[in-house]
Amino acid sequence: MSDHHHHDHDHDHDHDHTPITVDEMPSYFDLMETAVRELLVERKFFRADEIRRQIEVLDSRTPALGAKVVARAWTDPAFKSRLLENGRTGCEELGITFYDDTQLIVLENTPEVHNLIVCTLCSCYPRPVLGLPPDWYKLKPYRARAVYEPRSVLEEFGTSIPDDVEIRVSDSTAIIRYLVLPMRPDGTEHLNETQLADLVTRDAMIGVIQVAYNREAV
Amino acid sequence: MGTENLVRKLPNDIGGDEAGKIERVEHVLLPWEKRCHALADVLDFHKIINTEEKRRGVESLGAEMIGELSYYERWIVAFANILFQKGILTPGELAMKMSEVEGRFSDVPSTHHN
Repeated sequence: MSDHHHHDHDHDHDHDHTPITVDEMPSYFDLMETAVRELLVERKFFRADEIRRQIEVLDSRTPALGAKVVARAWTDPAFKSRLLENGRTGCEELGITFYDDTQLIVLENTPEVHNLIVCTLCSCYPRPVLGLPPDWYKLKPYRARAVYEPRSVLEEFGTSIPDDVEIRVSDSTAIIRYLVLPMRPDGTEHLNETQLADLVTRDAMIGVIQVAYNREAV
Repeated sequence: MGTENLVRKLPNDIGGDEAGKIERVEHVLLPWEKRCHALADVLDFHKIINTEEKRRGVESLGAEMIGELSYYERWIVAFANILFQKGILTPGELAMKMSEVEGRFSDVPSTHHN
């Protein structure tokens, strides 16, 4: 990771030579991570390239994958029913691999029910389809409050859910993860699947916002 | 509401607690944080430490450390403790390896050592 910045250049300039990649002493915890990893590699519990490969896997997971799933569900009713039946195999149909043992339950928003996901105990999240969770998802205020005052929480995200709409909060676990299938916005009948996917954001699949469509902005 | 609450609710069990406004903070992971996340996944794949063991390992750090350490700091300390408990590593081995790793940066001024 500490890629030294070696390059030849002439010295007819007067900026200081602080390298772009500043080599500073790693923090205590950074040292600990390196030490634990290297000890385990030395003892052949796993190979160094497994870590590198997993970093690539993590980098390959972004909310664009979830958005693709949502857009397909909006345009293909048979796919949607399979997805709601089994979220994991539904995503796998679209080529999204699950690199862990987690199950995925897809929760459909309707005019009667709005879904919100949380992990009160820690930070469980549908990582194979959304990537890593935002910090606020892992911090106390969201985890503590989502389960008892979801309407106020949603208001803080600028989302007003009418009183006659039920709000269901699903608390994730180590092996069961959730993904919200937001409602398709009105006025999007003419959009194709790719254009629809562009409307779907991470926060909408967590359930803290709804998918918006602004015809003029598109 | 006295000491019994310490027993009823462990540090991770915060669902339903009073808490402040949600600050919508996000950050791009530091290189070591991303490696730590990959390490967690690889430890899980090899059935060395699974997700629930990790969560429990963080919980057993106790409220003070959970409150003060950052997210991935909690993880790496929990991993070390679990590996000690399983007899896979000893504290002495880890300490020696950490000094060795630190030695690779001996020509670097130790500006911020937290």
